Amino acid sequence: MARTFALTILIFWLGAVLLARLLDIHGNAIDLQHILASPSLRYWFGSDDLGRDILARVLRGAEISIMVAIVVTIINMLIGVTIGLLAGFFGGKLDRLLMQITDVFLAFPGILLAIAFAAVLGPGMLNLVFALCLTGWVSYARLTRGQTLSLRNRQHVQAAESLGATPYRLMSRHILPLLTSLLMVEATYSLASIMIAEASLSFLGLGIQAPNASWGAMLRDGVRYMLVAPHYVLIVGLSLMSLILAINLGGDYLRDKLDVRTA
Amino acid sequence: MHLFKRLFSVIPVVFGVLLLTFLLIHLVPGDPVEVMLGESASTSDSETLREELGLNQPLVVQFGHYLNKLAHGDLGQSIHTKTPITELIKARYPATVQLAVVALCLGVLIGVPMGIYAALHAGHWQDFVITLISVRLSAMPAFWLGPLLMLLFAVWLGWLPVSGMDHHASIILPALTLGFGLSAILTRMTRTSLLEVLNDDYIRTARAKGLSERTVILRHALRAALLPIITIVGLQMGSLLAGTVITETIFSWDGIGRLLVESIEKRDYPVTQACVLIVALSYVLINLVTDIVYQVADPRMRHA
Repeated sequence: MARTFALTILIFWLGAVLLARLLDIHGNAIDLQHILASPSLRYWFGSDDLGRDILARVLRGAEISIMVAIVVTIINMLIGVTIGLLAGFFGGKLDRLLMQITDVFLAFPGILLAIAFAAVLGPGMLNLVFALCLTGWVSYARLTRGQTLSLRNRQHVQAAESLGATPYRLMSRHILPLLTSLLMVEATYSLASIMIAEASLSFLGLGIQAPNASWGAMLRDGVRYMLVAPHYVLIVGLSLMSLILAINLGGDYLRDKLDVRTA
Repeated sequence: MHLFKRLFSVIPVVFGVLLLTFLLIHLVPGDPVEVMLGESASTSDSETLREELGLNQPLVVQFGHYLNKLAHGDLGQSIHTKTPITELIKARYPATVQLAVVALCLGVLIGVPMGIYAALHAGHWQDFVITLISVRLSAMPAFWLGPLLMLLFAVWLGWLPVSGMDHHASIILPALTLGFGLSAILTRMTRTSLLEVLNDDYIRTARAKGLSERTVILRHALRAALLPIITIVGLQMGSLLAGTVITETIFSWDGIGRLLVESIEKRDYPVTQACVLIVALSYVLINLVTDIVYQVADPRMRHA
């Protein structure tokens, strides 16, 4: 049941975003005659403080949010998995050094470091991605290292090693393939958490800049006009939560399906 | 022995945190002085600030100065108001601690009883509903939960103040926003730990002795659930502290999180740097204390 639900929501969002793309709906058209209008036939989700169509902007925001989440997840995974593999495979001084570095990053609570990086780098999409990458690789590194440490001593790895396989081959052909399902589950969950992080940064004015739509910035405006137009913040928030919920349910499904034990 | 090891393990982490926060200002693209003062600033102003921040010197020397100043309790001064940053932090930090502590208490006061209730009704609809809520809604970010609570309790019902710090009740909504995630996690944790021990022999013995169900649950069963709860609370303090940044912004709560956001908006980077440092160090300290409390609370851990 949960699976169908998650799938329906995901397909709905992807379809709607794609449709908005095809119809070239960008939601930047300003209509000062109809500012903060309630949902109506003309504006299904109402309009914002500049009379822009909230539905169109939610769809554009979804597109940007999904894109950022995917790009950041891929980069984080590449960096984190590489570091984790190296640390777990070679061990010793390299491992100690790399883990010391990840410990420092983990000493910053939650999203604080991303906020700090985004703040000094300045606003903008590229800096946003950069800030989220600087902090997001750590969990992959820890995860991969732990798994590599135990896989390193498996018989098939030792056998390949004694046959003369290079460290690169051992890591890429004999260890990494065993990590794929675990990493896929982790990546799915991290899509959701990166979308939340991106929205948090945009909420603080650090992320995507106007006139580009972003859910975080829309929520901030929604809070500002909450007293006169509560539909604004409610609609954007519900959109965000439905997508996050669907992604997390998808993660649960993958986890059960691939039989991955997560901590 | 383990205790000493744990204490020493903090040193490299703190050093790393100091280094990373020190480097923050050097990540500013272009000339940090120009970014902070704006392009219209006079050359003499820029030079003074550059001198003050020591940006002319080699990086290693700068870091040395930074550490030296920190060791003397000097966090530098705000670029715009010239106020010593220690004063700003001193003025704002208590509000954040207050908010975090109330959030923590609310989290425990809501989470633990909910978990007990769910465990006692395991398999029934009450358990199902509580589990569903605590699993699915625990991911509600502050920037969504906050406005929702604000709309419901302040705007529509009018029970609580919308924002600000003028009223005693002002703290309730931000604290609920902040403590919600914690309470959801604690609900799940308490439920699981209780269910694990409820069938144990010692619980049966306690019941057989004729103790009331209340005593059995609260004095015997819940004790076993205490350790995971302490751990979770300690681990969650991090997201709680980070959560203050957004929560304080939403509810105009004058804590260190809001100071951070204000400093970012004014490009007052020394203040930003100091806020990040203080929050991170608080987090490191809390983790350390959690570990120690853990060992004190459970004698089995002392030799582990």
